[in-house]
Amino acid sequence: MSENILIELKGLTKRYGYGDTESYALKDFDLTIKRGEFIMIMGPSGCGKTTLLNIIGLLDRASKGEYILNGENVAGISARRQAKLRAKKIGFVFQNFNLIEDLTVIDNVALPLVYTGYSKTAQLKNASNALKRFHLNEREYYLPYQLSGGQQQRVAIARAIVGDPEIILADEPTGNLDSRSSHIVMEELKAIHEEGNTIIMVTHNPSLTSYATRVINMLDGQIDTDVKTVADANLPQPISVKIKKRKKVEESEFVSMPTDEIKKEPTEEEPTEEDESKEPAKPKKKRKKSKNNKKDRRNK
Amino acid sequence: MALLVRTHYRLARAAIKDNRTRSFLTCLGIAIGVASIILILSLMGSISNLVKEQTKEIGADLIVVRPSSTKDNVTNIVEELTSANSFQKSNLAISDVKAIKNVEHVAAAAPIAVSTNTVESEKNTFDSVPILGTNSDFIKIEPLALRYGSFLTDTEDSKSVILGHTLSLALFNTINSTVGKTINIMGEKFMVAGVLDEIEKSINFDNVDFDNALIMDINSLDKYTGSTQIQQINVKAENTDSLATISSDIRSAIENQKQGDKNFTVTYGDDITHPASNLFTIVSGMLAIVAGISLIVGGIGVMNIMLVSVAERTHEIGIRKAVGASSRNILIQFLFEALILSILGGIFGLVLGYILAFLLSVITPFAPYISWQILAVTFLTTLVVGIIFGIYPALKAASKNPIDSLKHYR
Repeated sequence: MSENILIELKGLTKRYGYGDTESYALKDFDLTIKRGEFIMIMGPSGCGKTTLLNIIGLLDRASKGEYILNGENVAGISARRQAKLRAKKIGFVFQNFNLIEDLTVIDNVALPLVYTGYSKTAQLKNASNALKRFHLNEREYYLPYQLSGGQQQRVAIARAIVGDPEIILADEPTGNLDSRSSHIVMEELKAIHEEGNTIIMVTHNPSLTSYATRVINMLDGQIDTDVKTVADANLPQPISVKIKKRKKVEESEFVSMPTDEIKKEPTEEEPTEEDESKEPAKPKKKRKKSKNNKKDRRNK
Repeated sequence: MALLVRTHYRLARAAIKDNRTRSFLTCLGIAIGVASIILILSLMGSISNLVKEQTKEIGADLIVVRPSSTKDNVTNIVEELTSANSFQKSNLAISDVKAIKNVEHVAAAAPIAVSTNTVESEKNTFDSVPILGTNSDFIKIEPLALRYGSFLTDTEDSKSVILGHTLSLALFNTINSTVGKTINIMGEKFMVAGVLDEIEKSINFDNVDFDNALIMDINSLDKYTGSTQIQQINVKAENTDSLATISSDIRSAIENQKQGDKNFTVTYGDDITHPASNLFTIVSGMLAIVAGISLIVGGIGVMNIMLVSVAERTHEIGIRKAVGASSRNILIQFLFEALILSILGGIFGLVLGYILAFLLSVITPFAPYISWQILAVTFLTTLVVGIIFGIYPALKAASKNPIDSLKHYR
């Protein structure tokens, strides 16, 4: 594992139009993002911030270049795989909230879970938990238009985190909010970041940069300045899943792997002898052990 | 997968509920198409049922010999409708009846030759009275009952006739003192030998309305009107066990008689039951086409409303895609909506169709006829209509670009 790299962009280019009308939203864009970073991307309108966010969020494809997410090049994968990754690994927060107006707050929050195979009860339970976190659990059955802008944005953030994604992409999340609501929303994002989530946020507001661990200024589709305010070593470590999942743990491998290893290591020596004698009695432990054994062998 | 299907079903139901009026009207389009199909199927079913029941009443020992045309059915029907003479040239002859009677295990054989003529009584004159020429065996085969008098006897040059119930009333304004009176046909005097009981079912495999018919000996009919086209020969077997052998015997007997002419059919059992009237077949066929067209129109309604729905919900599609819906998810979501609309319309149409069929049964002898085939056909048709007309809007929804869709506001 090369020091927790989550996203690697190499030579990313996004071109619009052909010939005379050709223009570049991104030009040979290189960026490496580590797990646990809170990145703010700033820059004038039209410098490619949103395009970058859309490409990272797998909503858009680059014309050229590599996009490596979790060690896998996802630049050329099928639209179906993209959708799957969006559902599981990426949470979006938009400037205009983008809640479905016909759905209640809780159904809006549960939306990403619909596409990852959760039962209806599991969907609602998880959505309810996510809303509780933002103190919106009393508004579960309101419709979006019945909430204030700040509340709607918090609902949108709840929707972004409900599937326990690795990356949260925020496109000017405070752009439509007054300063008080902005503050609340930023505090929530900060709290989410401190739990070990990676956040990439586009903003125009320079006063928000204090929340970030890294500020990137873009100009004409390229990085102008890139300032890290927190050392890589001090980035928050991902902690285990807060919301109970109905599905197998393997699905969320990346989130749970580091913690799993820490948990398993102390017990590693003991069961090796024990298990041979008490094999049928502890089938659960046996499975764990065999996994560890394999890992051991690989390490040697 | 099952979970996703349930989710899509729930989504579609919610979307339909949100647009109640619109959904109802769309369903109505499908419903009208389905209702007319149901009505026609029910009608056809009940008619063939009527005839089937009748054949059962007559007994399982019935064999019917019909002349067959070398032309195909449609030309036949068209020709029949357009020609002044409503009966095709029959190649069955009176001598064939005799040949059939000589076949082993044949209990009775009666020809049916219908022509129309003017009938005069002392009081009234009627044009176009159907005159049925047959022989004395007829009453042994048909479930007819005489109210008064006696049936025909096999005497040469018989001048006695039997009147149908309604015809008797029409000619003499009575039924009980008709026997013994004389009537005039083509200038010849005939004596009324009997009057038939009223017939409850006016549709039968003979294509004859006995209530309005006059029955006379086929030889007399041949002699005085000069036109005998034998429509069919009804044969009663002695037992029901060997109908196949008897009918093949009959076939060879007629072939011998005709020196190898094979232009006739010998049927028994359920094969006898074919739509009682060719005209009816045509009318119901036309109706079925019209019903099919109205179903297509209903389907276009579904497509239209789905396109509107897709356009209205572009933003929603963008959001769904952004949070992880694949194009296939979106496709299925909208296809489900179209399917539910058309299936709802189908159910609605089924009910409507049977209500209409029931209303029709009040004024006609056609009882509503329900069978699993009709239900299956309805369900399949609506399913197919839903898929055909739902797939295009669904594809359109699925192919939307999430970024552009997110920028799209109502």
